[in-house]
Amino acid sequence: MPDIVILEPTARAGIAPREAWRPLDTLEGKVVGFIDNSKPNFHLLADDLAELLVAKHGVASVVRHRKLAASIPAPQPAFADIEQKCDLVITGSGD
Amino acid sequence: MTSIVICSTAFITLGRTQLKALGAPDMPIAVIPHPFGLRTRREVRNIAEKCVDEIARLALGGVDETQAGVKASSSADRAQQIAVPEDFEAFNALCEERRWSDGLPLVPPTPERVKRVLNSTRRSAQDVIANVAPGFGTATAEAIAINAVMAGCRPEYLPVVITAVEAATEQRFNLQGIQATTNPVAPWIIVNGPIARTLGINGGMNCLGQGTRANSTIGRALRLVLQNIGGALPGEMDRATHGQPGKHTFCCAENEAENPWEPLHVERGFAATQSTVTVVGAAGTHNLNSHAKDADDLLKVIADSLRFPASNDYHFGGQPWLVMSPEHAEIMKRAGLTKSDVKRRLWEESKMIASRYASKDYVRAQHTRRPELGQIGPDTLLPISIKAEDIGIIVAGGPGTHSLYVPTFGQTRAVTRAIDDVRSEAH
Repeated sequence: MPDIVILEPTARAGIAPREAWRPLDTLEGKVVGFIDNSKPNFHLLADDLAELLVAKHGVASVVRHRKLAASIPAPQPAFADIEQKCDLVITGSGD
Repeated sequence: MTSIVICSTAFITLGRTQLKALGAPDMPIAVIPHPFGLRTRREVRNIAEKCVDEIARLALGGVDETQAGVKASSSADRAQQIAVPEDFEAFNALCEERRWSDGLPLVPPTPERVKRVLNSTRRSAQDVIANVAPGFGTATAEAIAINAVMAGCRPEYLPVVITAVEAATEQRFNLQGIQATTNPVAPWIIVNGPIARTLGINGGMNCLGQGTRANSTIGRALRLVLQNIGGALPGEMDRATHGQPGKHTFCCAENEAENPWEPLHVERGFAATQSTVTVVGAAGTHNLNSHAKDADDLLKVIADSLRFPASNDYHFGGQPWLVMSPEHAEIMKRAGLTKSDVKRRLWEESKMIASRYASKDYVRAQHTRRPELGQIGPDTLLPISIKAEDIGIIVAGGPGTHSLYVPTFGQTRAVTRAIDDVRSEAH
């Protein structure tokens, strides 16, 4: 069967890796931030995880921020606050 | 800073693919069961007890099993030429296998066809028009032209498709949300100005139905761009629960000849002689059939039909749209109402009492609409949009006592852009 030449319709996805992900050496004494995506129950999960991270894993404190709605980004002041205070940030995606 | 994402099982593919697209392919994902929002308080606690250990393990560098099976991306500044079967069936089988298709047969994008299409724009092939969420693939003019050919566009449609891509990738449109959501939402393309007539884009009878090549293929071309360049493949990064027919194509012109008011692009600050594309994050169309001949009567039934408690526009303070038929618009005009008057009346008369909400949705609205409305109680009247002027109105369609309500995704704002790169000798 003869072939024809076409131009491939897909595009290079995305952006080159910015920096390699780095693990923490310990959770002891660290500050953990949460960005709540505002989906049902995430705030309850964040309540429990915050308590358990402190009680079971020695986390020093937890910083909480909540998005106005799931499909829009968190406001810039939330990012700035987390960047300034936190060693680890945990976000939620999906329902 | 070290980061971890929590995803429910149904969102692992989206999370993993998007992390790769955003340059963080190795960020770990902690997985919780889907649907998480339905869990009782006790179940949430049980999930948290498992999840906290998983977070601790991942934070310290433990292996993340969601990283297995993520494909490496290819890279090319210009589109790659590849050999495919000339046979119609075999070519389309290949397109389906590679997931380049919307499910309908495609036109092979040969270099000759793509070149002919590119001739209708002043853009050069390598001009970067946008990066398209959620995969953030680079949409060059050439890449858009390739998808326009595949969709069946005539060459002269390309400037409309390029402008639609520019508009849909503006931040306030929130393409990221629209592409990846579970909602049935699609970009609706509205074309205004002289180009609508030149290209024969239908704004009259059956303008949102079948039968006009420009309407059918311009919307389809944008869909192929969103899928092939944006990477929103159904079931992968496109998480739509059902989708909607408008995800195949959703494109019309305004019926400027029978519009008793200023056309949409003039209302939005453009000259009548300019041509524009407006994109709207539309969640379908709903028929508003009323034989009312009195403007007050007609406004009352339309306003009442906009109001329902499972509406994204009420959840978030959205930007709902109306496609008024020329007959309905004429009734308003004869009553001395401007478009702005109609918006104001609809906004006032469509307010919904908060007690109609399901309890979870009531709690959500208390959060999402608080910046605008303050404390919300069961008796609070919620407007459909933040401001009356946020209600969008175009006049389109043919004879008949029907208008259409176009509810939206809610977390999106319509964007209008001028079509300014037409190469004139192409017409």
